[in-house]
Amino acid sequence: MSESPQSETQKDGAGLPEAATSWEPRIVAFICNWCTYTGADLAGTSRMKYPPYVRVIKIPCTGRFDPLFMIKAFERGADGVLVSGCHPGDCHYTAGNYNARRKYTVFKALLETLGMDMDRVWFSWISASEGGKWVDTIRKFTEVIQEKGPFREYREMIDVG
Amino acid sequence: MSDRTDKIREVARKWLADGTVEAVVGWEQGTYREKCSPVLVRKPEDADRLLFNDRCTNNLMTYLKRDPVRGMEKVGVVAKGCDIKSLIGLLQESQVEREKVMVLAVTCEGVKKDDGTVPIKCQACDVNTPTFYDEIVGEKVASNPDPEARFKDLEKLDAMTPAERNSFWREELDKCIRCYACRQACPLCICSRCIAEKNQPQWVETSPHPRGNFSWNLVRAYHLAGRCVECEACETACPVNIPLMLLNRAMARTVKGAFDYEAGKDPEVQPPLRTFNLDDDNSFIL
Amino acid sequence: MSKIGVFVCHCGENISRTVDCARVAKASGQIRGVAVAKDYKYMCSDPGQALIKNAIKEHKLDGVVVSACSPHMHEKTFRKAVTEAGLNQFLCEMANIREHCSWVHEKEEPTTRKAIELVRLMVEKVKRNMALEPIRVDVTKRALVIGGGVAGIQAALDIADGGHEVILVEKDPSVGGHMAQLSETFPTLDCSQCILTPKMVDVGSHPNIKLYTYSEVEKIEGFVGNFKVTIKKKARSVDIDKCTGCGECQLKCPSKKIPSEFDRGLKNRTAIYIPFPQAVPARPVIDREHCIYFTKGKCKACQKVCPTEAVDFEQTDEYVEEEVGGIVVATGFDLYTTDKQGPYPDYKGYGEYGYGEDPDIIDGLQFERLASASGPTGGAIQRPSDGKEPKSVVFLQCIGSRHPSKGIEFCSKICCMYTAKHTMLYKHKVHHGTAYVFYMDIRAPGKGYDEFVRRAIEEDGAVYLRGRVSRIYRSGDHLIVKGADTLSGAAVEIEADMVVLATAVMPQPGIEGLFQKLGISYDQYKFASEAHPKLRPVECATAGIFLAGACQGPKDIPESVAQASAAASKALILFSRDQMLREPVVAKVNENTCIACWYCVEICPFTAISKKDIRDRQGNLIKRVAEVNPSLCTGCGTCAATCFSNSIDLDGFTDEQIYSEINSLMAVGQDLFPEPEKAEGDSPDEKAA
Ligand SMILES: Cc1cc2nc3c(=O)[nH]c(=O)nc-3n(C[C@H](O)[C@H](O)[C@H](O)COP(=O)(O)OP(=O)(O)OC[C@H]3O[C@@H](n4cnc5c(N)ncnc54)[C@H](O)[C@@H]3O)c2cc1C
Ligand code: SF4
Ligand code: SF4
Ligand code: FES
Repeated sequence: MSESPQSETQKDGAGLPEAATSWEPRIVAFICNWCTYTGADLAGTSRMKYPPYVRVIKIPCTGRFDPLFMIKAFERGADGVLVSGCHPGDCHYTAGNYNARRKYTVFKALLETLGMDMDRVWFSWISASEGGKWVDTIRKFTEVIQEKGPFREYREMIDVG
Repeated sequence: MSDRTDKIREVARKWLADGTVEAVVGWEQGTYREKCSPVLVRKPEDADRLLFNDRCTNNLMTYLKRDPVRGMEKVGVVAKGCDIKSLIGLLQESQVEREKVMVLAVTCEGVKKDDGTVPIKCQACDVNTPTFYDEIVGEKVASNPDPEARFKDLEKLDAMTPAERNSFWREELDKCIRCYACRQACPLCICSRCIAEKNQPQWVETSPHPRGNFSWNLVRAYHLAGRCVECEACETACPVNIPLMLLNRAMARTVKGAFDYEAGKDPEVQPPLRTFNLDDDNSFIL
Repeated sequence: MSKIGVFVCHCGENISRTVDCARVAKASGQIRGVAVAKDYKYMCSDPGQALIKNAIKEHKLDGVVVSACSPHMHEKTFRKAVTEAGLNQFLCEMANIREHCSWVHEKEEPTTRKAIELVRLMVEKVKRNMALEPIRVDVTKRALVIGGGVAGIQAALDIADGGHEVILVEKDPSVGGHMAQLSETFPTLDCSQCILTPKMVDVGSHPNIKLYTYSEVEKIEGFVGNFKVTIKKKARSVDIDKCTGCGECQLKCPSKKIPSEFDRGLKNRTAIYIPFPQAVPARPVIDREHCIYFTKGKCKACQKVCPTEAVDFEQTDEYVEEEVGGIVVATGFDLYTTDKQGPYPDYKGYGEYGYGEDPDIIDGLQFERLASASGPTGGAIQRPSDGKEPKSVVFLQCIGSRHPSKGIEFCSKICCMYTAKHTMLYKHKVHHGTAYVFYMDIRAPGKGYDEFVRRAIEEDGAVYLRGRVSRIYRSGDHLIVKGADTLSGAAVEIEADMVVLATAVMPQPGIEGLFQKLGISYDQYKFASEAHPKLRPVECATAGIFLAGACQGPKDIPESVAQASAAASKALILFSRDQMLREPVVAKVNENTCIACWYCVEICPFTAISKKDIRDRQGNLIKRVAEVNPSLCTGCGTCAATCFSNSIDLDGFTDEQIYSEINSLMAVGQDLFPEPEKAEGDSPDEKAA
């Protein structure tokens, strides 16, 4: 396995010292600003605990979620990707999540056809009051990823490039 | 067949002579074996170049989105039922104005691939006699679609484990040389600047390595989901024989199952990714 | 190259307890493009903010990442601070290392590493942030109030007194709403009309109020600050400018047997009628459904007798347009009817209680009319069937309310109080009578409310029985009410002369049609929804639309009035500026690559995108492209994610920003940070890279 994919950020990152080599799960969560982000805030204010391997990328609404984001996240080494927003009927923009749901349906089928490991792709609705659901989701997702280990199939592909 | 050729010439000649259209896009005899190739006829006297036979496989709608046809006030296009499906797609997406196109439909018993076999689209054809046109030539041909044909090839994919599917595709997609012939051939790849060529940011890496190839083919199939009319132009165009139609048909099957939608049927219906239903499937979302 | 400042907050110990803040600052300093990175105990404090401001000036920063609590907590604070130091506020972002990190993880190496990565993610974003200016939208300083009940009246008066014009639209021929029908009001027992009529008169004569009665909102276009409203003035068949309100026509009208809405069917009215004596405007209207001329083609008795020739049979519905900047919705409530087939098809009635079949079974509003001095009996309590004074009256609470099997789960809130009031009004008029009340719980929180109920029980001797009634049937001159007293466990059977049902408070039937026109949301019962149940109880999620009164949920008069004044003040706040500022998170189109497929146009939930023609100087069409109206765009980004040619992007969350954030996550093996001891070993050249 070669370890030197080139990209702008890596060049940026070159200034940062290298360190630990053992694998840690890497989960990327695209979450909407209004519900899930606030739900995750609530988990914090309630001092609930979950494993520290999730990286949140805030989007205004799940309507903003373009499946390209997910591909890029996997390309950048994500072991799992979560997309989460407001429950149906609760979207701050009324319909962003309904539109997103159609995109999920189609994209998910495409990933399945391509034989992607679908245990690594999660979708959820988590409201601003569901701090507990956020914690449970991240916990469970982390467990699944930990059990599966690194996303080798994708990483092999990345590293060939 | 020759009967249809005569009629096509007749109508084209008339349209060109009386100024109904500026030009007619059709098929002519190719230079390579029996293959037919696209031709743009501008003068009535050239109408005799046009023909129709079972080697007229090309989907001529692709030319509607390209110069010089794109800029014409009014153009005639010879079309099989399946080609008209892509026109419907173009109409839904406002890429073509109905008033600017004269559709010269031709009934069709099916075409053949270069190797002489019958394409899946013909086995599954439900538009042997087109229903959307300005003029139609040829005897009525009853449709007798094989209900299994369309998604039959998907079964072997379905039967694989995800890991097997993944390695199947990785092998296939490794072949991709990023010539974008699929995109050029596709009547519904309508972007003037494809996302694969946009570099700020560059969502799809351009060099032909597995990572970039995977992303490119994924994005191509996704952007055609619910839009692809299964004309098979991309797969036919692919120089390295990637089974692109497997991806396209997987998408078509999903869209049919999830949203009860089939592309290229009705110009008045919203394409599935441009709308939603409150009770769309929610079962896969936690 | 960017010059980003990273400011890591300890939040006292809230962050530093589990995250090594000094190390976060140190590692941040090594990210390319970061010019300065500091940590501090309380970044949001004055000295903390000063530290940021000084760094901006000293290092000529072009971007700031505050690594602290949730942006929902302090983004505004820090954006304000950077503005004070001369930096555009949208060049400041927050990395959430408290709610999303220090508070939810243990003190361990990966926690600090996560904090560093969250900072890096934001640094990469901020590098691509653009200086944005808030969007300015002109504000039309006029309000529309829909509904002329007490809530609508109060809101209209407050806004008008605040100096702005108000358009008040009421669907009925007069303003007043339900309060005009009430006799006396809890908890003080003052006469409803005595306190309401002056307000109604004010609304009718206020120079800033334009009153449209017998009118409905037909169409609403536009957005906060700039709504265009089409109002349908239903044909009244009377020219209210010519009419003097003398009432001659009512006396002459031969069609006299129409149940009066105002008296809730306890009295009849004519086809041309003034709904009640205190009506505003005190002008008649012809009920065309019952008018003999309109149904049979001849009569015109009213026209003949009218001294001012005000009756106009030719009048047609008229449409007027008004421009307003803010809207108050005050469409009030209606009562659930217990008929077998009421106006709410989704709810099961109470066929078993015989309402609508037996005239002596009435609802609360009918009782109000019976008790009212201006009512059909002049205020004497007489039962409808034969006018006899009822010796015993049974009041049933929670009819429909809190009864999931009938389709309603909520508490109607006002019935406990008005039923207590009814027992008192009854006892004050029928001294020897007995009032029985079947209740589930007595809910009387509120100033003077519990005392009021106690008075009904203790001083006026109302008999309260806790339980539901199973059946009511007629036996000769009486109604037999069978129920259970769940406190004693005994079955009860009461011989009553009249039964009063406290039916549930429901939204106006069909009101969701109006809510859809307004683009506001509503709950399962069709009560309008507020933007936030606690913190924004009078605003709708749709900007510029406010709620007042019972259209939002059951409310009594003081609450309706309080909310109306709150809604008015929200409207006045809106009108206090000539222009409104809006977050510049809006979509923008790349006209070069837009292919006019109109996916965005169709998908935008706010119809903010339209089709634009691009023409050359001669006016020839060159191409068509999508165009975003920044005043309508709310910044959801659905268009940006849908456009497959990637020709539409969202400021504040651009593709480039999100791409860089994802990229910052790095590929395997490349993303790692120093163990504390290794950190010392950085080579300076590496940093300079
Ligand atoms: C039996 C009974 C007794 C009560 N007794 C008391 C009491 O003693 N004390 C107390 O504090 N409260 C009492 N209440 C409650 C009181 O009636 C309400 O709190 C009050 O009427 C609410 O005022 P509102 O303006 O919100 O609604 P409403 O009074 O219902 O007024 C709404 C107005 O909007 C109009 N409207 C509706 N839809 C439209 C439309 N689409 N377009 C234009 N106009 C429209 C209606 O015609 C109406 O005029 C009692 C209620 C009942 C049922
Ligand atoms: S979706 Fe994209 S290409 Fe289509 S009209 Fe909108 S901006 Fe243009
Ligand atoms: S960001 Fe949302 S509101 Fe704005 S134009 Fe796009 S879809 Fe419409
Ligand atoms: S705002 Fe959360 S999904 Fe739309």
